[in-house]
Amino acid sequence: MLTIALPKGRLQRPALERFAHAGVVPEDEPGTSRKLIIAAGSSARFVVLKDGDVPLYVERGAADLGVCGLDQVLESAADLLTPIDFGFGRCRLCLAAPRGSSVTAELGRSLRVATKYPRLTLQWFGRRGVPVDLVHLAGSVELAAVSGLTDAIVDLVETGRTLEENGLVVVDEILQVTARLVVNRAAYRLKVEEMLPLLEKLG
Amino acid sequence: MQPATPLPGTQDLLFEAARRLRRCEATLCARFEAKGYAEVIPPAIEAADVFGPEAFRALDRSGRLIALRADFTAQVARIAATRLSGMSPLRLYYRGSIVRRVAPDSGPVHERLQAGCELVGAAGAEADAEILALAAASLHALGIRGRISLGSTGYFSALAAAAGAGGRLAAALNDAIDRKDLPTLRSLCEREVTPGKARDALLLLAQPPRPQTEAGELLSRAEALAPTEDALKALQRISAALGAARSLGAELEVDLGEVRGLGYYTGIVFNLYATGAPRPVGGGGRYDTLLGRFGDPRPAVGFSLDLDALVPLAC
Repeated sequence: MLTIALPKGRLQRPALERFAHAGVVPEDEPGTSRKLIIAAGSSARFVVLKDGDVPLYVERGAADLGVCGLDQVLESAADLLTPIDFGFGRCRLCLAAPRGSSVTAELGRSLRVATKYPRLTLQWFGRRGVPVDLVHLAGSVELAAVSGLTDAIVDLVETGRTLEENGLVVVDEILQVTARLVVNRAAYRLKVEEMLPLLEKLG
Repeated sequence: MQPATPLPGTQDLLFEAARRLRRCEATLCARFEAKGYAEVIPPAIEAADVFGPEAFRALDRSGRLIALRADFTAQVARIAATRLSGMSPLRLYYRGSIVRRVAPDSGPVHERLQAGCELVGAAGAEADAEILALAAASLHALGIRGRISLGSTGYFSALAAAAGAGGRLAAALNDAIDRKDLPTLRSLCEREVTPGKARDALLLLAQPPRPQTEAGELLSRAEALAPTEDALKALQRISAALGAARSLGAELEVDLGEVRGLGYYTGIVFNLYATGAPRPVGGGGRYDTLLGRFGDPRPAVGFSLDLDALVPLAC
């Protein structure tokens, strides 16, 4: 029996399509069902999670494998195998700031940056030797830069429309993001007979 | 005063939990002794340069940098290279706790309970096989089903050297291989490694593991691609260890992508996986240059077990 961590939100539908293609179909519709664990035949089951929680569930073995964005894999710093790049869920993690502001030149003081990705943000600025005053937010990150809470933001950009409508522009790209298959290191070895055929069909 | 709870990454073991730990230790020690291994009890603190940057360090009164034990193998190597110099082969075992920073030079400090064996002064594949068999027998003795995943750090280093990959590129290749991230490995190879045998061989490293019975095919494919003498030798060491460890059967698998290990490993490396544990529960490998650091260059191979992970699984 394999336990698969399925993300809520925009990655769920394309992820389910890939699993259906591999012959793993949930018995209830995860989008509408209130069930937290959904059987998929006798050989697999889905647990439905926020995508940011997927890496920890898989690292700690509560799920054997799962789907989440590369942003969540790296932000969690979870110790995982990442054998498949699904290619869907494509977006970019970007540094953005109000149009006309001079974020890159402004090195006289620490840059104030709001983000939901503190680890990736500190890493990126750290490599450039730029000190950062980090504001860790739970949502509406654009508002931080628009309202003057911070000089800039680090956030996911899919189409760029939200940025544009709020007078923000991309200053730099930090990471290209796509959905990944993440696999628990021990399950990959110990459940190899179930795991490898599934990975082959998903790949 | 702060609330008096143990620090994160440490714990109190009380009553039945303490009894279980001692029972497991006794079972393992009896197994080690039966195979001719003798216990050594190194001190809890050492000169800091015995360990790597993961050790928790402090200055003593004379201004000398000392460290809490971060690794038994380095201490056993020091003992073998100094007080037991010239006595070969040596079969030594240990048990106790190590203290490490989670990330080198930062992060919280964790304490881990370990037990393990070191076979010093034996260079052959028989020694590799003896350690592999003893690691497997240790899990058996605790009533735990598991698998050993066998690879070689020597093989990866030989390929990286042959491909002219150093520094940042070697680290990126190592990380992609360690994560079985074939898409990233492929794009790194295509963008930054010149085509040739070394590149083809690197691409084989993200392959899934093969059980011992099917490993021959993978190894001969890799041997055909081996770009240098060093790479070929590393593969032959895996084959030889497999040949000598036939009795392990399905519990042993070959994973050329098993590139993770302590910095001083030079040849075979392996990790132990146990049903019910989400992470490796132990591992080991060959370290033929570590004793030389303490003045007595002799080959050695060993393994350690993570008792925090194993004791809850033991019956």
